[in-house]
Order: sequence, then structure tokens, then C-alpha cells
Amino acid sequence: MTRRQKTTTYLIVVPFAILLAFPFFFALVTMFKTNLDLANVEHSPFLYNDLEGGFHWDFWNYATTEHVRFLFEETNYPKWLLNTLMVGAAVVGITLLLAMPAGYALARLAGGWGQSAGVAIFLVYLIPPTLLFLPLSRLITQLDLKDSLWSLILIYPSFTVPFATWLLMGFFKTIPQELEDAALIDGASRLKSLYLIVLPISLPGILTVVIFAFSLCVNEFIYAFTFISSSEQRTVSAGVPNDLIRGDVFFWQSLMAAVLIPTIPLALLYNAFLDRFIKGFTGGAFR
Amino acid sequence: MADVADELVRSSSALTRGDLLKKGTAAAFAIGMFGGLTDKSFGFYGPLKYANKQLSGELRIMQWAHFVPAYDQWLDNTYVKQWGEANDVEVKVDHINNALLYSTGASQVAAQSGHDLFWFISPPSTFQKQVIPVNDIVQEVTKKVGPMSKVARKSTYNPKTKQFYGFPDDYAPDPVQYRRSYLQEAGVSLRTWEDLRKGAPKLKAIGHPVGLGMSNEIDSNMLLTSLLYCYGGFIQNEENRIVIGQGANRKGAIEALQVMRDIYRNGMSDEVFAWTAASNNQAFLASRLSVALNAISIARSAENSGNTALSDDTWLASIPRGPVMRLGNEHVMGVFVIWKFAKNKEAAKKYLVDQQLGYREHFIRSQYYNFPAWTGAIKGGFKSIRQMTAQDTHKPKGKYTILTTIAEKYTTNPGHPGNTTPVIDEIFNTYLIPQMFAVVARGESTPAEAVSSFAQKAQGIYRKWKNQGLV
Repeated sequence: MTRRQKTTTYLIVVPFAILLAFPFFFALVTMFKTNLDLANVEHSPFLYNDLEGGFHWDFWNYATTEHVRFLFEETNYPKWLLNTLMVGAAVVGITLLLAMPAGYALARLAGGWGQSAGVAIFLVYLIPPTLLFLPLSRLITQLDLKDSLWSLILIYPSFTVPFATWLLMGFFKTIPQELEDAALIDGASRLKSLYLIVLPISLPGILTVVIFAFSLCVNEFIYAFTFISSSEQRTVSAGVPNDLIRGDVFFWQSLMAAVLIPTIPLALLYNAFLDRFIKGFTGGAFR
Repeated sequence: MADVADELVRSSSALTRGDLLKKGTAAAFAIGMFGGLTDKSFGFYGPLKYANKQLSGELRIMQWAHFVPAYDQWLDNTYVKQWGEANDVEVKVDHINNALLYSTGASQVAAQSGHDLFWFISPPSTFQKQVIPVNDIVQEVTKKVGPMSKVARKSTYNPKTKQFYGFPDDYAPDPVQYRRSYLQEAGVSLRTWEDLRKGAPKLKAIGHPVGLGMSNEIDSNMLLTSLLYCYGGFIQNEENRIVIGQGANRKGAIEALQVMRDIYRNGMSDEVFAWTAASNNQAFLASRLSVALNAISIARSAENSGNTALSDDTWLASIPRGPVMRLGNEHVMGVFVIWKFAKNKEAAKKYLVDQQLGYREHFIRSQYYNFPAWTGAIKGGFKSIRQMTAQDTHKPKGKYTILTTIAEKYTTNPGHPGNTTPVIDEIFNTYLIPQMFAVVARGESTPAEAVSSFAQKAQGIYRKWKNQGLV
């Protein structure tokens, strides 16, 4: 890349990065603001100000950790984080368990029907949860899973599995059939060739599924809110808007902290596997 | 003979260990089961966890996340625990955002499963067929503390079925909250709506517009219906028939729409059409607004912010007077319902009665937000309430005493002068009132057209509920 090309790239990327990072920066600043500083519209929202609105370099003396303490000590936030992690891990496991063989079968074994079936499965993903939550709520009641994390572990795969199957199907198609044929000729079973040949090559696709399914679990609101009503059983997405918006009062600083904290590991995860993630999504694009 | 007699004496007095166990068990069972049919018996509920009580099982309650977090903490961790121990019931209270109460209630009905007690922020009369009547506990409380307040009665009583479909627990008066310095600077009075109409441009000119919502949310509903009352534009009459399209009611409604249109055009900004229930709080606390109608969450939030310049300058007043009357809706009418599918109806009823009878603590813990549905639940009634609010230490001293006046004289139920029928509930929950005001304010419709259109829709809703036998 020439110097000029580099400069052009940075000229495009840097403003874009600043724009995208701005909400995180704003949340970070706001979560440590005092009530007095936050409520005064004449104060800069991006700095920690004294009572008159002045900025000092020892700005930490004009900030407070009280709202973060409130979040961790006076709400069930730590429990919500743990619940989200547990549900996310379980759903990712179930999704991989179901979507990998399904995607493989549709790519390799179903012939012409595979493509149509793949599209049909994907269409299931498009049914909006707002239509499904009432009948599913009844189902969850009959199964006696109300107010239990198991309700989410049971329901979330209904939208992660179709998408993951469709995604993996496309990815499996990019893997040359000849590699498997060679393994089969050498005496490997279909399952063994899947395990030893296909899966290691499909790692970017599998990682994509992991990140995608986990993100969906973190973000999902309707089911998390409908199926679970006790505060300590909630996940982050349902707990935060319920317990930090009280009546018509928003607990802004705690809200900002509550949304920022789970984004950090997710952002790191995305960054760590960015190349594989892109490869996973585009892997099946040409087949 | 003596041997026989001795044998008889021995058999009656000498008690073996086996006999003792048998007799003791039998006695314990008899006392336990029948115990003089007093509260010492444990009936069929099994052994008590706590002595001398008859209820048992679990009681699950759903209510809003109160704007005072300390109130919820006290309720969840102290009050319900003590009540549960005293009544041998495991109580669990869940809290949700108030905007989600109605949809959550609907989803519980659809699933036929959920909480034993469900608290609504406004009278949920459209759910009447899904709940059990609570006339018995209403009578029980009335016998002990005197009559229920009129606002509570008309919010929860259906004269057609002669049933209380819900148990009114609390209500919040709806004062005007204003920045005194801004009004003084602009020379504006809030005595009448006409004063506000004339003063709104002056307030906007000094950079502090009026903040009265015309959006699909509860604050707008309450405020705009109140404005209709003040101008005599009643939606229904005392017999709960829709009358807004006729005679003096129509005239009053048109005048109210004209007043709000003028206040909007000269003294507000477009954002009021997209407000949520929190928007007037936020704009007021950011020192943008000069006037808002809301329960005391604005004033309390100002105090909690630590900004004394803001909180000391935030004053409360009654709703402005209109040409017909000075009257406003409650801001919150807390109504508990017991679903038909509730598993522990007996415990639910006892909880409601006990809570109401001891409401003084709830009133104080809620920072004077929750007024009891039975004024007599606080010994001394409004007189005591006034004394308690006068003790609030925030400046201006005694500012919360106006709440008593508003509660006593200027607070009514949605649907005044009738009851809060399912018709009114549906009109509220489909936000027809803010929509009527908004189309006029934006110039999309004349006041007369808007009233006609509203009346037509209201009549349609009325027919629907009449066919169901609820009005």
C-alpha cells in the first residue's frame, strides 16, 4: 500500500471509527458523572465539571463511582450478567449441536432439495418474536418453565438454529468434496470425516455461529421479559430497562454503566476473531 | 375383687411409652385439626411454619418499579417478609417498568398463568372478565377505616355488574410543577388555563417553554382529560354514556382543544408529540421547561439531584381552573386485581386488606407519592396527611401540603363524572385523547372535526363493551 493510499484509508476510517466509538465514550463519561453535573445542561456532557461548570485536570475528583456501586450492590446486575452468560453458553452449545449436522446434511446429502430446504429453514428465522411470544408463553407455562432460565434455553435455539444451519450450509459447500472423498476411501466413516476433515476447516464458520448466537442471547428482550418476571432470574437485556427505569425516572449513570460493561467482552471477542468472522459470513457467498 | 380393682387402676394410670406416643399423637392431631376451630388449628394446610396462622403457600405479586427505589427495597425486604412470616405465606414481589404493565397483564391472561396479585398503574377495567370481584374485602376495609375515597371507588366499581373488579390500593395526585423564578421573570400566573394560554408565549420567549405532552403515553392522557373536565368537555355522563359529541360537552371539548392548540403554537415545541412518560421529567430537570403536570417524581428527582437551585425553585400548584371547574385526574391509580387463575386467592385478599389498613408506613416510605385509597387508613385522614407533608424539610418549606388540597378537592377518576369503565380504559390505552389534541395542535384538523371523529370512535368502543354487558 502506498503512502497516499494509506492516508486515504485513514481519512475514511478514522472519522468512521470516531463516530462508531462515540456512544461508548459518552456512556463511559456519563456513568461516572455526579447527579448535579449530569442534570445541569450548561455543563459539558463530555467532561467532569465542578459546580460552576469548570473543568479541572484532576477531573477524577469531580466524578463519582456511586452509580456503578449502586448498580452492582443495590440491583441484581451481577446476577443478570451471570444469567446471560449461562443462557448464552447453553444456547451456543445447543445451536452447534443441532446446526452443524443439519447444515452438513443439507450441503452434502440432500441433493437438490438441500438448497430449498435451507431457504425454508432460513425463513423460519424471519418470523417476528412479537407474533410468537404469546403462544410460546402458553407453551412455557404448560412445561412449568415460567420464571426459569430453562425457558430461554429452550426457546432461543428456535431462532439461532435456523440461521446457523443456513450459514453453516453455505460454509460447508465451500469445502471441496474431494477432501472428504479421500477420507472415505481411506476408510473413515462419514462421521469421522466430518469430525476430522470438515470441522477443522469450518472453524471460521463455527466461530461466526458462536458469536452470532451469543450476541442474540445478550440482545434478546421480548422472550426474556415475558417468560421471566423475577428480577434475580432476568438476563441483562430484560433486567436493565426494568430495574433502572423506575416510574418515570431514569437512572442514567447506572444505565450507561449497565449497557457498557457487557459490550466490552463482546467487542474484544469480535476483534479477536474479526478475520475469521468475516470469512465465516462470506464463506458461502459464491457457492 | 381387689385384684380386679387394682388391675383397673393400673390399666388407667400406668402409661407405657407406646401408649404415650399413641395418645400424644392422637391428641396433637385432634388439637391441630379441630383446635376449637380457632386459629390454633392448622386445618388442611399441614403444619405451620409460623404458629397461630391459617394461610399458607406462595403469594406472587407483580407491580411497578416505584420511582423511589428505597420504597421497593423496604417493601420487598422488610414489609412482605414480615407479613409473610405473620401469615405463613411465602411472598415474592416482582417489579416491572410501568410502561410494560398492561402488555404483561395481557400476556399473563393469554397464558392463563402468572401472578396472584397484579398491580396496574391505571384502572384496568378491560380485564374485568379475567379477575375475581373483591366486594368482600372492600367491605372489610370500609368497616374498619371508613369509606373509600371517591376517586378510588369510581375507578374500580362497575355499577352495571355491581362489583369491584379491582382493589384500589393507592393513588397519586397530579400537581402542576413549575419553576417559580421563570414564572416571576415572565410575569405569568397559573391560576387559570386562560392565564397559561396568555403566559405561554412569554415563557417560551425567555427560553423556558411549557411542557404539556400530546403523545401516546399516560401523562398526556391524564393531563388532557383533565383539561377537558376544566372546560366541561366530558367524555361520558354519570350513567357512563358517551356524551362528548353533544351539547355543552362538545362545546367544552372544542374550547379545550383550542386552548391547547394556542399553548402549543405559542409556548411549546414539537417534541411534545413524541414524548414518553419520562420526557417531561427530563426536560424539567434539565432546566428547559417552566411548567409541567406530573406526580411529585419531578420535584423529588430535583431534590435527589443535589441541585438546590433547581429543587428550591420547583414549586407545586393545583391544576389551573377552567371556565367550568378546577379538576384533574389522578396521576396514578394503583389498582390490584386477582386473576381468576390465581393460585392463592385467600392470601392475596388478606395481603390487600392488611396493606391498606397499615398504609401510613407506605405513604411515608413512598415520600408522599402513594396516597391511600381509603383516606381513613391513615389515622386522622387528610388532617394527618397534611401535617405529615408539612414536615417535609425540602424548600420551599411545606410545598408538599398542596398535595392534600389537590387530593381532597381537585382529584377525580378517568371517566368523570362516570366510572372508569372498560370504554374509558380502552380509550386511554388506544390513546385517542392525545391523538385528538395532537391533530388539532398540528393544524391537521379543526377542533370541531376532531371532537366529532373522537366521539364516533368512542361510541364504537362503547357499543363493543355494552354488547359484552360491562357498561
